[in-house]
Amino acid sequence: RFSRCDALIYTMVLNDCVSAPDKPRLTSCRSPEKETFTCWWEPGDDGGLPTTYALYYRLENSETVYECPDYRTAGENSCFFNKNDTSLWINYNITVVATNALGKNISDPVEVDVAYIVQPNTPENVTAVVVDDQGPFVRVSWEKPRTADTRSGWITLLYQLRVKQEKDKEWEEYDAGMQKYYNVFSLHPDKEFMVQVRCKPDHGFWSEWTQPTYVKMPDYIPRERSLWIIITIFSIFIILILTWTLNVKRNSVKLCLLPPVPGPKIKGFDKQLLKSGKSEEVFSSLVIQGFPPTIGYDDLLVEYLEVYDNEEQELVLDSKDLSEVCMKSKSLSDCDSGRGSCDSRTLLLEKCMEGREGSGSDQHQYSQHGETSCTSTESSECQGLEPGSPESSDGRVKTWPVVFSSPQPHHHYQVEAVKPVYHSVPEILNRSSPHAMPTNYHQLHHQDIPQQEGRFSKPACRHSQSYNQFNLDGLDTPAPGVSPSRSLEYVEVQRVNPENMLLLRPLSDPNREPEGSDYAGEDYSKVKEVTSNNILLLQRDTYHQCVDDYSQDLDSQAGQCTTQQPPHPCKPVIYQSNSGMPQEGMRVMGNGYVDSTVLMPSY
Amino acid sequence: MTQGSRLYFALTVLMCAFVSINGVGLNDLLERASQLSDKLHSLSTSLTNDLDSHFPPVGRVMMPRPSMCHTSSLQIPNDKDQALKIPEDELLSLARSLLLAWSDPLALLSSEASSLAHPERNTINSKTKELQDNINSLGAGLEHVFHKMGSSSDNLSSLPFYTNSLGQDKTSRLVNFHFLLSCFRRDSHKIDSFLKVLRCRAAKKRPEMC
Repeated sequence: RFSRCDALIYTMVLNDCVSAPDKPRLTSCRSPEKETFTCWWEPGDDGGLPTTYALYYRLENSETVYECPDYRTAGENSCFFNKNDTSLWINYNITVVATNALGKNISDPVEVDVAYIVQPNTPENVTAVVVDDQGPFVRVSWEKPRTADTRSGWITLLYQLRVKQEKDKEWEEYDAGMQKYYNVFSLHPDKEFMVQVRCKPDHGFWSEWTQPTYVKMPDYIPRERSLWIIITIFSIFIILILTWTLNVKRNSVKLCLLPPVPGPKIKGFDKQLLKSGKSEEVFSSLVIQGFPPTIGYDDLLVEYLEVYDNEEQELVLDSKDLSEVCMKSKSLSDCDSGRGSCDSRTLLLEKCMEGREGSGSDQHQYSQHGETSCTSTESSECQGLEPGSPESSDGRVKTWPVVFSSPQPHHHYQVEAVKPVYHSVPEILNRSSPHAMPTNYHQLHHQDIPQQEGRFSKPACRHSQSYNQFNLDGLDTPAPGVSPSRSLEYVEVQRVNPENMLLLRPLSDPNREPEGSDYAGEDYSKVKEVTSNNILLLQRDTYHQCVDDYSQDLDSQAGQCTTQQPPHPCKPVIYQSNSGMPQEGMRVMGNGYVDSTVLMPSY
Repeated sequence: MTQGSRLYFALTVLMCAFVSINGVGLNDLLERASQLSDKLHSLSTSLTNDLDSHFPPVGRVMMPRPSMCHTSSLQIPNDKDQALKIPEDELLSLARSLLLAWSDPLALLSSEASSLAHPERNTINSKTKELQDNINSLGAGLEHVFHKMGSSSDNLSSLPFYTNSLGQDKTSRLVNFHFLLSCFRRDSHKIDSFLKVLRCRAAKKRPEMC
């Protein structure tokens, strides 16, 4: 091959470098219907001279070279093989030769089997129609390319379409198989879409896409309506189910919404009788014979107050009897006796403290032992009944003053006809001089209680044990006649004489039995004073040091005590101090219990 | 079992047998056969592409000419006009002859595929096995079609395949493998075309298919 300017031949016309043409190149051969095919080539540089191109082909099993029959039909630089010249399943060896005045050039040969180069024309007559049948959709239909003979089965075409909105970037493609229509669903309402279709033989190349076909989706409200219909039906269904469920569970629903109001359950109260309207009969059953006792208050004596105790030295009241009596009395203060000391003392106090919050600013004090409250002087109504005592029925009760001291068991007294109980008997303030022994003994006799009724309020303790609250408001002012500076002395209950008198004796009594030595931390209550209102003012004291600090403020005392007995809560002290004054009257036990036997009648 | 129930049972069995043999219509049989042949050709095309991916250029030079395929002696129509003139049973026998001619060579290919000097050997091996299965199914199906058509004579051409080894060295084995496969690819295209023509001829009731 000559390079352009190496050649020494110059044309006279062009006066330029010329050469033989470049090698042409066969670009592709295609058969649209498996009956004809076309080959295209790319001419190389023509070398400056007019160049002609010729295509030659050879069939595989012969050496005969044929030239292209038709250079025109398919356009420039092409060769069209018509039906007669086209054979399937035979390799064509095709070359293109470029020739000009200076030479010729032959392209690289290409082996072509017509069966493998099938690429159909595009489908025709693409139409897209909106169908409003079941929700609007678009039915796209088309026709096969004109030249393809699918009818005889010679060629099998598979179709594909794609849809998008004008502004979208991505097409949605759908395969339609061999059918010539397709229903496109889920197109957005009130938008315009473009549709294109193409096809491919079973083994071959895809055709070109058709020109886009435009279709506009209508605005479909009916679709929303059907949605509402579905929603309505669904909710009706739900409501039906709920109604049925409610109907089935009618009773329990009624129970839930309208809980039954408890009817009156008064012992001896006959509802039917009430309904019948005879009030006399109704109420007659409620009337206790002989109640309220019309005897003088002096005669209202509390019977034996049974105090039960166990190894843990708990003081328990016979709550039942007591409560009955209290209920029956119904006068003055409410008093619920209680088995308060079933639990531990501190526990009782805590319980009391819970209820205390509700009591507001009232200053209440809870005794840690139920019986204390009941046995206080004013609680005449609290009539502890000896279990099984025959005297309870006649209303005559005797007081049983129960004075408590530390939990240490003091068997200093004996209760006749009652079980031996442990009583911690607080020291009772001895007003008189120590030598005046007889006067030391307080016969805790039931006294006029009504005066003190104002002091009592219903205990807020909710538990079965009953406590009396002692409103120590009255204790703010020391009872006249009682001076805090009075010397104090400890007393203790020695025994109870048959007349139900608590015999006391001072602790300093040499006759007294030796106590348990380990009073460490356990206090004997020190009776500070007894007010004129029959209030026994007790004072907590520590054995070791606080002995002499009678008149000290309880807070400081508490502080002192705390230092000595850390485990002992000065809590009661604090709690007492809230009320302000009751330091004097209050006695806080070493373990934190408040012993409010302040209401003992003084003699 | 009573006599009546025995008779009834025998009748049922007979009917079932009858239906099983003749139950499927010709259209459906041809449809199924067309699907199988389509798959056959697709498999062979993909196998050829796999082989071409790593084919030594020298192999192309060494490649035998297509006219050297062992089935080239069979006279087949080369264009549509010729093909549409051929009666159905002849078309069918052509297809069956071609199919039959390839059962042995495919067995050879299958055995050689595992030791081919080609990086895609495993894929080629599995596809060749699949090819073999398909050919067997199609052969059986075309048997049914033949019986269904009820042609008188069974004029299958014999196209023997005498080669029992692809070559001695790696390259020649690879080249021969490729060559055989190309012959098969072409023949499978023929079979597919013939069967699809047959399909459309028989599907007079379903013009939408054709």
